[in-house]
Amino acid sequence: MKADAALVVTPCPLKATVSAATRCGAAHQRRASFVTQTWLIASKEFGDRFRSGWVIACVLVWLGAIGLTSFLGLLQIGQIGVQGYERTVISLLNLVQYLVPLLGLLLGHDLIVSENEERTLRLVLAGGVSRTRFLIGKLFGGCLTLGVPLLLGFIIAGAVIGVATKDAGMASFLRLAVSGLVLGLTFLGVGLAISVLCRTRVQSLVVALLTWCFAVFVFDLIALGCFVSTKAPAAAQEIEFVCDATHVHLAADIHSEFDNVADGPTRATTTSRAASLGWLAANPIDLFRAINLSDQMEIQVPVFTTLLTVILWSAGTLGLSIWQLRRTDL
Amino acid sequence: MNAYLEITNLTKRYGAACALAGVSLSVECGATLAVLGPNGAGKSTLFGCLLGLTAPSSGAILLGGRPVADADRISFGYVAERVALYPQRTVDENAVFFARLKGWPVGEAKRQLNRVGMHLVGERKVRHLSKGMLQRLGLAIALCGQPELLVLDEPFNGLDPALFDKLQSILREESARGATLLISTHTMSAVEPLATHVAILLQGRLAAFGRVDDLRAEHRVNDSLESIYHQIARRGRTTEEAFA
Repeated sequence: MKADAALVVTPCPLKATVSAATRCGAAHQRRASFVTQTWLIASKEFGDRFRSGWVIACVLVWLGAIGLTSFLGLLQIGQIGVQGYERTVISLLNLVQYLVPLLGLLLGHDLIVSENEERTLRLVLAGGVSRTRFLIGKLFGGCLTLGVPLLLGFIIAGAVIGVATKDAGMASFLRLAVSGLVLGLTFLGVGLAISVLCRTRVQSLVVALLTWCFAVFVFDLIALGCFVSTKAPAAAQEIEFVCDATHVHLAADIHSEFDNVADGPTRATTTSRAASLGWLAANPIDLFRAINLSDQMEIQVPVFTTLLTVILWSAGTLGLSIWQLRRTDL
Repeated sequence: MNAYLEITNLTKRYGAACALAGVSLSVECGATLAVLGPNGAGKSTLFGCLLGLTAPSSGAILLGGRPVADADRISFGYVAERVALYPQRTVDENAVFFARLKGWPVGEAKRQLNRVGMHLVGERKVRHLSKGMLQRLGLAIALCGQPELLVLDEPFNGLDPALFDKLQSILREESARGATLLISTHTMSAVEPLATHVAILLQGRLAAFGRVDDLRAEHRVNDSLESIYHQIARRGRTTEEAFA
C-alpha cells in the first residue's frame, strides 16, 4: 500500500519504476556480498580446472611421485621397498622444490590473462564485481586447485607409508607436506602477479618459466657469487652449504648411514648459523629447503623468518596484482 | 531535467591519441540514448568508462548525483559488441553464474533465458552456439535482475530479422519498465523507434546531443535519424577540415 502511495505522488511514472528498481537493487546488493562473489569466482575456477582434468592429473602425478620416490628411494644401495617417513622426505625434497613451484606458476600464470584475452573479464567487471574481489576469488580458486591435489597426494601417500612401514615418526613428513603446500601457494601468488602484468598468455607462460628457472637454478648461483665477491666468508659458507644442491645432498645423504663410510661428507661449521638466516626470505625455495633439512644440517630456521617470508611474498604478490589490475584498461 | 546519469567533461587519452575529448551529456531516468558515430569515434570507450573497464584521463561520471561505484554496477546490464562467455560451460551455467554474481537466484537466470528463447538449449556448451544464440545469451545475462541501466554496444550487429525484431521488442519492454538504455549502433533504423535521445560522437568529440525531436527541429529535417546523423557528420568533417 505504501509503495502504491509512493507511485501516486511521484510525478514521473518512469522515475517511480526506476526508484522501485533501485530499492530492489539495494536489497540484492546485500546478497551479492564480498564472500558470495569471491566464493562464486573461486568455485568456478576450481570447477573448470576439475573438469579439464587438471586436478585429477595433479593428484595422480603427485601420488606417483611420492610412491615411486618412497619405493625406489634407496635403489642405488640395492634396497627396494617403501621407506619410512624420514627417508622418503629426504628423497622427495628435490622433487618438491622443483615440481611444486612449477605447478604453482603454471596454474597461476593464466588465471587473469586468459580471462582478459577471452574478454570474459570485461563482462564480470561490468557486472559490479570489483577488481580486488575478482583477484581474490581467482587466487582462492587457484589455491583450492593446487592445494587439494597436493594435500590428497600427501595424505594418501603418508597413510600408505605409515601402514607399510609402521613408522610412527611422521613429523618430518608433515613438515614437508605443510611447507610444500605453502611453497606452492607462494608461487601461485607469483604466477598470479605475472598473469596480471602480462598482456598475452604466451608472454605470461614464458615469464612464468623464466621465473621458475631463476628461483630454482639461477638465484643460488647469483647469491653465492655475490657473497663470495663481497668477501663475506661466514655468509658465503652458509649460503654454499644451504643453497648448493650437491651439498644439500651431501648433508642429507642418508645413504651414507647405510654405507658406513668413515670419511663421509664433512659438514661445515655451524656456529652462529641460525643467527644470519634472514637472507632466506629472498627466495622461498631456499627457505623451504632449510626448513626441511634443519635436522640434517643442524640449523634452526627462526619462526619469525618463516612467517615474514610467507607474509611478505603473499602480501607482496597480491598487492602488486591488485595495484596492476586496478590501473589496467580493458 | 531529472539527470539519472551525468557525464561531465570526460576525456580519455591513450598516449598521444585522444579517444574521448571533453564529452559532457546527461541522461534522464528511463530515457533511451542512441550513441552514434563512425568506427573509432569513441563509443566503446565511453561505455568502457561508464562500466569501469577504462579509467578516464579526466572528467566525471555521476549516477544519481554521485560518482559511479562498483556496487552501483550490480544494477547495470551490459551486452558487449562481441559477446564473450565461458566456452567450456553450458548456457545455463553461464547465465546462472552471472546472475548469482549479481545476487540473483537461479530462477531469475532461467526466466531471462526463457524470455530470449534460449531455454531449450540450456544444456548446450557455449562454444557450440551460433553468433545469434551467443548474442541472445549475452542479452539474457544483461537482463538478469531488471537492471536500471542497460548498456548495449552494437547489439544489432549480425542478427537475423527474427532476432532483430525480438531484440527490439525486448528493449521496448525494458524501456516501458523504466530502465535507462544506452545503445551504440551503426544500424540507425534499428534504434530509431526506440531512441528518445541521440548523442553523435565524431573523433572523440560530442558533435550533437539532445532529444531526437529537438535535433530534427534544429537541423530542419523531418527525415530519419540517419539523415540527421549524416548532416551532422558532414558538418563535423567540414569543421575539422576548417580547423585543420
